[in-house]
Parts: sequence; C-alpha cells; structure tokens
Amino acid sequence: MPILECRELSKRFGRTTALDRVSLSIEPGRVIGLLGPNGSGKTTLIKLANGLLTPSEGEILIDGEAPGPHSKAIVSYLSDKEYLPEWMTPKQLMDFFQDFYADFDRARAEEMLARLGLDPAQKVKQMSKGTREKVQLILVMSRRAKLYLLDEPIGGVDPATRDYILDTIIRNYNPEAAVVISTHLIADVEPVLDEVLFIQNGQILLQSSVDSIREEKGMSVDQYFREVFRC
Amino acid sequence: MEWIFRNDLPIYSQLVEQIRLAIVSGVFTPGMRLSSVRDMAAEAGVNPNTLQRALQELERQGLVYSQRTNGRFVTEDANVIDQNKRALAQGQLAAFLDAMKKLGYERAEIIALLEEEA
Amino acid sequence: MLGKLLKQEFRATGRIMLPVFGALLILSVFANFSIRFLDSSMSDSAVLRILAVIVLIFFGFAVFGAMIVTLWLMVSRFYRNLLKDEGYLMHTLPVSVHGLVWSKLLVSLVWFIATGLLILAIVSLTALIQSGTNLSELFAQLPSWAEIKALLSAHGIHSGDITIFFTELIALILLGSIAGCLHFYAAMAMGHMFSKDKILLSIVFFVALSFVLSLATNLLGFRLHDLAALTVEKGELEMLIFYERRLLRFSLGAALLQGALLYFATTLSLRRGLNLS
Repeated sequence: MPILECRELSKRFGRTTALDRVSLSIEPGRVIGLLGPNGSGKTTLIKLANGLLTPSEGEILIDGEAPGPHSKAIVSYLSDKEYLPEWMTPKQLMDFFQDFYADFDRARAEEMLARLGLDPAQKVKQMSKGTREKVQLILVMSRRAKLYLLDEPIGGVDPATRDYILDTIIRNYNPEAAVVISTHLIADVEPVLDEVLFIQNGQILLQSSVDSIREEKGMSVDQYFREVFRC
Repeated sequence: MEWIFRNDLPIYSQLVEQIRLAIVSGVFTPGMRLSSVRDMAAEAGVNPNTLQRALQELERQGLVYSQRTNGRFVTEDANVIDQNKRALAQGQLAAFLDAMKKLGYERAEIIALLEEEA
Repeated sequence: MLGKLLKQEFRATGRIMLPVFGALLILSVFANFSIRFLDSSMSDSAVLRILAVIVLIFFGFAVFGAMIVTLWLMVSRFYRNLLKDEGYLMHTLPVSVHGLVWSKLLVSLVWFIATGLLILAIVSLTALIQSGTNLSELFAQLPSWAEIKALLSAHGIHSGDITIFFTELIALILLGSIAGCLHFYAAMAMGHMFSKDKILLSIVFFVALSFVLSLATNLLGFRLHDLAALTVEKGELEMLIFYERRLLRFSLGAALLQGALLYFATTLSLRRGLNLS
C-alpha cells in the first residue's frame, strides 16, 4: 500500500490554483525528490499532506487515511518556516517530542545535537537562524517515522551541514519509510534519490526514477530539470 | 575509496563499475567483507536502494557473494577476478586503439610507441 | 494526549503568570507597609511619604495589570501558538483540534480563577489588616449558620436552595469565562481562514459575533421578562427570589448555548479552514 497517495487533488486560494488535479502515489522505502520552481505547488502539496491545509477537491491519503491524528503520528515534517517556540531549549523540545511522538528516538537526537556541537540548554531565542534550522532538523530526523516530509531541508545551511543532513537521510534509511525532499538544489540531493517528481504550475509533469532519466536522456536530473524548466 | 560520479550515466551502472574496478585492482581484496549497504551508501553518498541493486548485479556476475547472516563478501575465486580484470583491460585497450587509429597510427607504429614509452 | 497538552500549556504560561503573581505579592507587602507608614506619623519626611504613595499607586497598577496580563495571555497563546508559525508544530502533533482548543481553554480558565482569587485575597487581607480588625472578633460578630438558616427559612428558603444557588452561580462564572474565551478564539480562528488582513478580519468577526450573540440573547431575554411580570401578584421577596433564580438559570442556559456555538465555530474553522502562512 502506498504511504502517500493523491487522487485528483486540487487546492485553490481564491482565484489562484495552487494544485491542479494531482494524482500520485509514493511507496514505502523510497527517497523522493519533489522538484519544481518557486511557486510551483511543492509547499502546498506538503502542507496538504500534513493537514495544515484542506483540499479544495480530490483527496490525499497517508497510510490509507485522510490527514488526522493517525497520520500525524507517523509523519515527520520539516517546515520551511521557523516554528520552534522561542522560550524553549533543545532539552525541553526533546521532552516535548518524547511526550507526543511514540517514535521519537531521544538517544539519537542527543547524539546529533552533540555531533553538531549544539548546546541543549540554549534558548531558541538566543540561537542564530542556522542553529534553529539545525535543531528543527535534528528533532524531525530523530523520529522513526513512516513518512518524512522535508520542505527545503538544505536551503539555508552551510556545505558541511548539508553533507551531514544527506548522510543522516541515508543512514536513517528504512525500507518501511518514505522520504520526500522538496528542493531546488537538485545536484546536491540527486545521488540520494530513488525517484523524482517534477511539478510545475500545480501539475505533476513527471514521476520517474533518477537512473531512468540518466539512462534515457544521457544527462543528470539536474541538467534535465534545467532543460525542462528553461526560461 | 573515493567515489566520483559522472552526470551522463545512471548512478547504478557507475556503482557497478567502480566496485568492479575496486575488486580487480585489489582495493577490495578477495574474501573481504563489504560494509553494510547503509554504511557503504553513506560513504558513497548514494541512495541505498541504488547501491543494493548494484550489489545484486555484482552478485549475479559472481564478483561478490552473500552469506545469509554475515553479509556480503568479495569473491575468492581468482578466475572470476582475472576474467573481469581482463575484460576491463580489453575494454581500455579497445578504446585506446580506437583513439590511436583516429590519430592515424597503424598497429605497428602503436606497438613501437608503446615500447618507446616503457 | 489532553494531559500532555495541558502540561505544555502550563509550562508556556506559567513562566509568565508565576512571576506576575510573585510581583503582585511582593508589591502587596510593600503596599501594606506604605499604608501603615502613611497612617502613623512616624516620619514627616515628604520624600518618604511620596515614596509610600508611589508604592501604593504601583500596587494599584499591578492589580489591574495582572488582570490585563491574564486576559492578554489567553488571546496571545491562541494566536501565536495555533495561528502563527508555532502552529506548524502544534497542528502536526498527533492530537485532535478539540485537544488543542480545550488545553488553551482550561489553562486560561485556571489562570483567570487564580488571578481572581489572588487579587481577592490580597485586597481583603490588606483591608482587614489596615482596618485593624481582630479576626476572631469579626467572626464572632458574624451571624451563625443556624441564625442565617432560620432567617432564610422564615422567607421559605431552605439550605438546599442556597447550595443550588451557589452551584449555579459558580457554574455561571465558569461557563461565562469559557464562553468569553471562545468568543476571542472563534473570532481569531475565523479571521485566520483568509489569506489577507487576518487580524483586521479577526476584529470584524469579534464585533460581528458580539452583535449576533447579544441579539439572540436579548430576543430570548424578553420572554423571560414577560414570565417574570406574571409573578407580580406574589410576595416581594418570593418574586425577587423567583426572578433571581430565573435570571440565573437563563444566564446559565445562554452561556452554555453561546459557548457551544462558539466552540463549534472555533473547531470547525481550525479543522476546515486552517490557513497558516
């Protein structure tokens, strides 16, 4: 059974259509790149999967169910926003995640904090933007979720952290879990992906494996993407 | 070992080739135990499923074998390694000869050049 | 899960409310000293007297301020935690919208009660201490429970009625506070269903809800007046009690109905119209 499935899914904001009859399905054990220019509908799709938006038409199913407490227990979401309460420390945030998510692996979170040299007692308020993003990422990747939805996880981080994030995604690999990474930095994530979804103007242009694009087109997904979305 | 990937070929086939090269050149010694798929994938920076498929292909070719509980090993069969080494050498030679022919060299001239170089 | 949400909510609000309570207590101690100082003619120093007056003014502000902070916290927790960026965290927890709303509601209610009781205690204690009343004398002067009962039963009121009256009164205070919170919540949740002018729309919804609710209450209320008018022929006190009881019951019903409607509006807006940006 697919872990994420969209059937004729549409989302409109007033008169603008953010997603236009999207149908797709994502199987467990896959690492998928959600690729598209800014404003193509990537974030809208991810927010719908998290129940942060409700579909205008069609449906979106996580593990066979519409988003709700069940899906939220198995989805680990990294937003493109900074959403951590400013008064909390990483230690308090770990307590919080442990309270609410049965799949939170605290030992792993603590190890990642130490590896990235972060202070568990520092308040979010006192952290730099980069540090906040790292803390968010650690919390999200420390869950043993069935579906990871990562919205621009490597957007603003330095190259060393970017490598660490990609390494974490690989080491975190679980045949029963799927990872969806939305990004515009394709070259960096390409080797880590099984499949890519090209999205433009709210429509899915292509769902294909990385190697079949390379095989058929004789070029990397990054190069092919530039060709498809040339402006 | 260092992993470098070209843009114009599938990552899967490049993994097969690079591991084959590592085995015939002795970087991966006969009978050596390979690290887990997860660790090897992390080291190479590639998707674990892609690496898994590459290893299965190498298994099919007889260059690696798996033991149900212990993991994967480089073959100890010297014949298989030699055959692969020879096949790779032939491939290199064919490419070399092709390039030399394009430069206008005849077979005898190429041999003479090679001896001079050595 | 509600328990865990409550725990988190108490943590988030306690770090503000507890210092406020602490400051209030400290200021009340100083205020007591100031009153005593001003009363006695221990010193004629103008500076010290001005200082004492300033302390008293601060105390007055603090009492008022504590109430404002409690109210502000109720609104801002809902707004910042559920409708702004922190909403990304809260709305992706494996909890229902009901859990989120109830945790905010119950914690606000607890702080309302705590603030109310604390201010009541401080003010009455200050008054008692400053008036120099001897507590045991005061209690001795109060009529005994038996005397009160006798007085009331002369007018046909039984002690059971008193229990009911106070139960209803407390229920009304609680329900009224809940409905009051929900009035803010519903307005904000509805205003934030839109992509633009969310705060302005929240205010518009607040006013609109006030209008609709008071209209509906008044329409129902007129009927109550009619009913009360019919009882004029009864005795004065009996009528007053009857009227009081009617009014209380009616207010209870109105608060319950308003609360239920506002709760429905809040949760529906959060479930179907959530539009974080």
